Amino acid sequence: MFVTILDIIISGLLLGGIYALIAVGLSLQYGVARVLNIAHGEFIMLGAFLTYTLFTGFKINPLISLVITGPAIFVVGFFLYRTLFARLRAVAPTVDAFEGNSMLACFGLLFIIQNVAILIWGAGIKGYSFWAEPVSLAGAKFAANRLITLFVALGICVAFYFFLSHTRLGKAIRASAQDPSTAGLMGVNINHVLALCFGLGSLMAGLGGTLISISYQIQPTMGLEYTVIALIVIVLGGLGSIPGSFIGGLVLGLVGSIVTYIDPGLSLVAYYVIFMLLLLAKPTGILGKS
Amino acid sequence: MKARNNLGRMLLALTITAVFLAGGAGLVSAADKDKIVIGQAISLSGPLAGGVAISGGKIYELWVEEVNKEGGIYVKEYGKKLPVELKRYDDKSDIGTMCNLLEKLIVEDKVDFIFPPWGTAWLFAAAPIANKYKYILIGGPGGALKLKDLSLPYFFQVLNFSETQAPALAKIFKEVGVKSAAVIYRADLHGIEYGNSMVPHLEKEGIKVKLNKSYPPGIKDLSPLLKEAKSLGVDAFVAACYPDGGMLMTSQSIELGINFNAFFMTVLPFSPPLFLGTFGQAAEGVMGGGAWNAKSGPGAKDLVDKFVAKFGEEPDYWGGLYYWASLQHFKQAIEKAGTLDQKKIRDIMATEKFDTALGPYWYDKDRYFVNHPGEIGQWQKRVFEVIDPGEKRTAPPEYPKPEWPKKQ
Repeated sequence: MFVTILDIIISGLLLGGIYALIAVGLSLQYGVARVLNIAHGEFIMLGAFLTYTLFTGFKINPLISLVITGPAIFVVGFFLYRTLFARLRAVAPTVDAFEGNSMLACFGLLFIIQNVAILIWGAGIKGYSFWAEPVSLAGAKFAANRLITLFVALGICVAFYFFLSHTRLGKAIRASAQDPSTAGLMGVNINHVLALCFGLGSLMAGLGGTLISISYQIQPTMGLEYTVIALIVIVLGGLGSIPGSFIGGLVLGLVGSIVTYIDPGLSLVAYYVIFMLLLLAKPTGILGKS
Repeated sequence: MKARNNLGRMLLALTITAVFLAGGAGLVSAADKDKIVIGQAISLSGPLAGGVAISGGKIYELWVEEVNKEGGIYVKEYGKKLPVELKRYDDKSDIGTMCNLLEKLIVEDKVDFIFPPWGTAWLFAAAPIANKYKYILIGGPGGALKLKDLSLPYFFQVLNFSETQAPALAKIFKEVGVKSAAVIYRADLHGIEYGNSMVPHLEKEGIKVKLNKSYPPGIKDLSPLLKEAKSLGVDAFVAACYPDGGMLMTSQSIELGINFNAFFMTVLPFSPPLFLGTFGQAAEGVMGGGAWNAKSGPGAKDLVDKFVAKFGEEPDYWGGLYYWASLQHFKQAIEKAGTLDQKKIRDIMATEKFDTALGPYWYDKDRYFVNHPGEIGQWQKRVFEVIDPGEKRTAPPEYPKPEWPKKQ
């Protein structure tokens, strides 16, 4: 019995860790930069495919790829904001208009990135094998690569939290999240900070993609399912709350794991049921402020 | 003066109309037909695109290329060979989109023939549409008993599926001494049909089914099912899956070191680039739906060679030869009919036997292809051997399957 419970909890955390990481990224893009990035999953996919190419083509360890894919996708995200979204923001009469326009632009991005990836890598499923061996924890067995994924994902989330709460730049980001206009008046270079947030969100997606490619198969059209999960998680955790997204991700993973143990056929249904229940009971999310 | 002008204009208009009408008629007249256009709505993106890339999709491209190398298909009505053009639309792995695109191909684009979409549920949706417009639909990847019940005169089933594979698998299991099995299946038409038909066949052969559960498409963790099957101590693990789920359950059982004496999956092992390419040595002993290989006959060897030369990888060892042969049969039916008339070609296809890469090819009274080169395959030393009981066997089954390699 103990082993079974441990099994369920750790399996849940293994998935939850990834969910938390990608949701924190989306939360940053939406909560601060106000871009509801429907193409978030495509950045995840890019990270996954870069890692796959580096591993199969150049024999580069996926954990080392983290320092290549993350920054590379950060640069893409940063420049996208500086060029595309900054322009949309400048011409939008209100924040709401900007949110709507940028979401539409993201839909376009989704198709562009996805189709470019299909041109480069083909539409097929890809995968590679890395640390695919069992590890025993108190009698329950887990795959080594999934445990690594969990620890790295948690590590990145915690490091990022410290960055936000303990650095000057982190403070500027939090200030911009609360009130961009006032933050701008206080000397924060708002365009720069927002671009940075969008870039950091992309970075998290890229890192998430690398970690996903270690334990899951990947394909150019995998993005949307992760975007949907990230959206559920940020609403679950409370829109704009980074710690909320983190907790939301772990909760979703755990619930999925418990339900899968009872009946695998219902695991995906469970995500949406939780989502609906939470919207009914506490529409602002776990850590959201009304 | 004015009246004469008006008359002149009217005459001019009439002349122009007449010229256009004549020209238009010329466009559709027999002499001007210069190619055969075949339309196909298939998943080039979305979750199924991976499946299209490894099975089916490329065979149609290869066939079109091969036919055009010979100058096309000879159609007596036009007195010449007509080259073939494949016109493809992307259904984005969505059944509704596929249905719309298929109707567009038939009604708007007025293509001469259509090729099938990918996947059992997609085929099930496409067959009635083709039938409504009296277009021949030669089934590709996919197959279901439910289609037989519909009895559509313009639909031809090519691929083998649970109806013949489930009994073959049960007989192989009995032969090698499997005592118990766990059956899991994807919760869609493919999985449910296989799930429902495999359990009674296994039980009929005296094999105890200790676990029988479905999983949803898109699941991210199948380890609970693998662990449960292992804890029940079953000999055989049987899964009715699509490539995404199949990849997940294989990699998870390798990672967790969960071994079964027999490991069978419907849709995945047949693919050399995907399955062998990803799992390498671990593929040894894994069984899958199929099956044929280069040893199945000279035509089969020829297909493998052509496919490798064009795509740089081996073809799919479930449907590859089936689709290829069905198209060869189709071409000969068109040539015999001497016309592009659907009804006439259909009648020939339904009754005539033609020689193809897999030997004689014909359809039974339900328009189902029955002369299968094999039902169940198993990877043995990088060859997908046909292990069916009977004369189609290319190698005896390997049982128990070797354990997953410790380190990849």
